[in-house]
Amino acid sequence: METQLLELSRDQIVARIERGAKSRGVFLAAPELLQQYREGRLEDPAAVADLVALAALLPDDDPLFVRP
Amino acid sequence: MSVPEQDTYLGRIRELTRTYLAGGPDCFGAFADLVGLLLRLTVQLGTGGIVLVPGPRPRDRMIVYGAVGDEASLVPLTNGAFLRLHIVLFRERRGDDFRLKVEQAVYQYQLDALGSRWVFRYDYLRQPPDPHPASHLQIRGKLFEAEAGVYRGMLERTHFPTGRVSIEAVIRLLIEQFGVPANKPQDFWRRVLAESEAEFERIAYRPLSGPSR
Repeated sequence: METQLLELSRDQIVARIERGAKSRGVFLAAPELLQQYREGRLEDPAAVADLVALAALLPDDDPLFVRP
Repeated sequence: MSVPEQDTYLGRIRELTRTYLAGGPDCFGAFADLVGLLLRLTVQLGTGGIVLVPGPRPRDRMIVYGAVGDEASLVPLTNGAFLRLHIVLFRERRGDDFRLKVEQAVYQYQLDALGSRWVFRYDYLRQPPDPHPASHLQIRGKLFEAEAGVYRGMLERTHFPTGRVSIEAVIRLLIEQFGVPANKPQDFWRRVLAESEAEFERIAYRPLSGPSR
């Protein structure tokens, strides 16, 4: 394979989601961002769709997916 | 570009296409290599345009990600602009075999690294959480007709339904319609994109333009 592999830990994934959201003007912690995205409550969900997708790399039982 | 060089690239593209279509464990790498090669031959500035991100989950799901910008997933373009590129892939069992599927794809053309000067965005989400079309186009522009009633009063928030849009189509759009310089001669990149896109069109899942209820 020629493409570089970029291994990300859970903490790095969460940090990327939160930094990316902040840089796009969405000031939410990762769990809130994911919840609002899933419930269709974000003003412009497409603007953060790529960040939300990072969470798909985590196991289904990750705390990020547990609703408060 | 010489004919043997062209044939070498075309052979490599066919090989990568066969590998990702086969759905084996190496399908993620083959797909990423194909996207990387298409970008290098056309609109990408320099090398190292994409990375493959496996994450800590069991390796049945990976993301092809633009390599520039920690959380921005950018591919630098030959005109100084950027393509935000993000493709979520997963392997799905089909009987005794597996198939590589796309769960989500984002292609956003933007003039700055931050993305505040984005121009257009194609999104595809296999299972969208909202009523917007699963495959859609957004354009950051101004509508001449103020009474048209666009979504939330802004053209950029309006989701125009599209068919599935391939990376090849986006590259072609950038070169042909937005004037992004290509790295190789036209007769070559057109042939490469056409051949690769034909395979995508053959297998691409096409969602409805919205929910049924």
